[in-house]
Amino acid sequence: MTAVTTFFKQPLVVALILIVALLYLGQSLSPGFASADQILRLLIVASLLGIVAAGQNVVILGGREGIDLSVGGIVSLSAIIAGNVMNGADGGILPAVLACLAAGAFFGFLNGLGVTLLRIPPLVMTLGMLGVLQGLLVVIRQGIPSGRAAPGLSAFVTQPFALGIPGIIWLWIAIGLLMAFMLNRTVFGHRIYAIGSNEHAAYMTGVPVRLMRVGLFMISGMFAAIAGLCLLGYSGSSFANVGEQYMLSSIIAVVFGGTSLAGGKGGYTGTMAGALLLVILQGILTTVNIDESGRQMVFGATLLLLMLFYGRGRAMRA
Amino acid sequence: MSKLRLNGVSKAYGATLALRRGDLDVAAGEVHVLMGSNGSGKSTLCKVIAGSVRPDGGQILINDKPVTISGPQAARVAGIGIFYQELSLASHRSVEENICLSALPVKAGFFIDRRALKARAARYIALFAEVAGEGFHAEALVGNLRADQRQLVEIMKALASEAPILIFDEPTSALDRAQVDRFFEILRGLKAQGRGVIFISHRMDEITAIGDRVTIIRDGETIETLKLSDTDPATVIRLMVGGASDMPAARSSAPAVVETRAKAAISVRNLTGKGFRDVSFEVARGEILGLGGLHGQGQSALLRAIFGTSAVTSGEVTIGGERYNAKSPRDAIRRGCAYVSGDRGRDGVISGRPIIENVTPIHYLRDRLMIARPSSLKNKAMPALAAMHTKFASLFHPINSLSGGNQQKVIIARWLIDRPDVLLLDDPTKGIDLSAKADLFALIRQLAADGLGILLYSSEDAELLGNANRILVFNGGSVTRELTGDDRTRYNLYQAAYEAA
Repeated sequence: MTAVTTFFKQPLVVALILIVALLYLGQSLSPGFASADQILRLLIVASLLGIVAAGQNVVILGGREGIDLSVGGIVSLSAIIAGNVMNGADGGILPAVLACLAAGAFFGFLNGLGVTLLRIPPLVMTLGMLGVLQGLLVVIRQGIPSGRAAPGLSAFVTQPFALGIPGIIWLWIAIGLLMAFMLNRTVFGHRIYAIGSNEHAAYMTGVPVRLMRVGLFMISGMFAAIAGLCLLGYSGSSFANVGEQYMLSSIIAVVFGGTSLAGGKGGYTGTMAGALLLVILQGILTTVNIDESGRQMVFGATLLLLMLFYGRGRAMRA
Repeated sequence: MSKLRLNGVSKAYGATLALRRGDLDVAAGEVHVLMGSNGSGKSTLCKVIAGSVRPDGGQILINDKPVTISGPQAARVAGIGIFYQELSLASHRSVEENICLSALPVKAGFFIDRRALKARAARYIALFAEVAGEGFHAEALVGNLRADQRQLVEIMKALASEAPILIFDEPTSALDRAQVDRFFEILRGLKAQGRGVIFISHRMDEITAIGDRVTIIRDGETIETLKLSDTDPATVIRLMVGGASDMPAARSSAPAVVETRAKAAISVRNLTGKGFRDVSFEVARGEILGLGGLHGQGQSALLRAIFGTSAVTSGEVTIGGERYNAKSPRDAIRRGCAYVSGDRGRDGVISGRPIIENVTPIHYLRDRLMIARPSSLKNKAMPALAAMHTKFASLFHPINSLSGGNQQKVIIARWLIDRPDVLLLDDPTKGIDLSAKADLFALIRQLAADGLGILLYSSEDAELLGNANRILVFNGGSVTRELTGDDRTRYNLYQAAYEAA
């Protein structure tokens, strides 16, 4: 294989080419789609997805069929918690951040315990947790009025922060750098790959496998919680199941970015490109007047198509 | 009349000739014992008869008529039933279903005839009724049974085939005395019916108790067939070992006595756990203690228990004079223990990851590192890999790009950055090439000279005889003999391994 074909077979390169192609397509369908303002808006939406996908990414990398289907529920819950804690006051932002992180970590911890101590497959455990969270949302919303975002938070998400770019995009870039550092340059990151590619061998070299796995689910819960908080800032007030869409799309973003669903292979940079790609695709579908249910169908089909192309094939060849 | 006859059957796997010339002649109404050491070709021979391996050459005759056995189904049709050493049971199904699994009774061409199935299974279950023990009944799930009970189900399954020719590959390894006695009575019954039984066992007492004739296989060739009543165990073992049987090991290798540098590296007293019992020994610093005996007699189980992967029920271990009780490999590594398994794919290789990440995990743990800086790690990894003469293009290439032998060198190198006090080697050279083996043993001897205490289990006797200062022979989970000095001969090793547990 020549260097050129190798280059074009990297998921990241494929994703970037597709991003440019889709932007071009969008622009030709609806002039103004690829304008600076629009691209900035797409980036904000992509940041929200990208932050959820960061957590999804580490859980999937950890292997043993790792997947977190409860992220959508945690996003919704976190948006409601944040709205109620801050209730429109800037002074409430910090307590809201802490409360959201604590909630995300807590539900992630429960997921981790279920998967490690009770040996429930992640798919089942996190799906069950999603059900619990959805029920919890209904209960919460019956009594308490859902709160509003603080102006400071909304500004952080929607208004330019530095160099004309909103704070949330900076946050996403920071998370990207942090993830790259964690996965490549820390012992913790190397251990994530180790348990993802050969759990038993990792155990034999003294990696605390169970503890790690609980930690990964907690990280996923906390990223989803941050995304929920930012989502509140984006929409102003929280409404039921705002986070629902993130379950499927966070998984697609990770797989699009070249992370193997079998674990142990991939990284976050590709996931970032995958998130951006999905958001652009979503924008195009909206432009051509395809509604939410149609978009979900396209997303589902995209995931299956991706699995056909590389997800599953790789796992089997590895 | 001969029931089954094999003439010059051969089989090669790639370049390895597993079976060069296999001859066998099983008469009607006899129990024919097949003997040979690990890798001698006897299991290949069995697989050829059972149809799971197609021979490259030679002839198979059943009732003096030449036959071709094209697969397991064809073998069954030809009248061959086999007991598999690796249990082939469906653990979520009941005892009776498993017994009838290979030929389920069917009615109306489609539905399973449950009544016929129950009746058929009950006949075989009744055979072992008094010895099967608690919890054994027709509807019990196989997965819930004890190891010996599962082995009984496997025996019943083979019997239920009602085949004229039956192969039993180590059928008694998990059974107790009473169960073995009952099984032998049944075998005698089968003999009386004129069936031919091929029997593989490593227990000399069982072989003499039940066998009529014995065929000895060595290095893929049938050496001789003898009547057991005309021979004695010593002759059989001598034939298995071959010409060099009495040659002492000392000539090639390790000194018999280590100048004991004061302290013991590790001492084990009355240790009992899953798969081994009441094992005691002491390894001096600088000593290589060999663990010998047939495969699966408790050697690996002992090493793994010391390394903390399975529980110890009683007894104690001390390392460097301190009480040691590892609950996990993590514990064991922190206390200075190292473990290298022959099953690299399972226990060692972090596949798909760079070589450097495969060398450094122990260093991460022992130095309590948080940040992995490539430059400093490279400086640590290079000397360790060089000590093993590992060949690789770049530290950042995936470990899968290396050959098996080089992968194993990388796995061993991970223990060399921070030196352990005790090295546990669990058949470390399985499946690697000769030059890698030579490098490995050169290093192991060097490590011993540096003062490590080393425990070496190997399925190749030559490796034990050539490197160990002392050898403990395991049989049925406990140490039955210690070979030191000039006693370390191939003959003694075999004899101790094959005598009754």
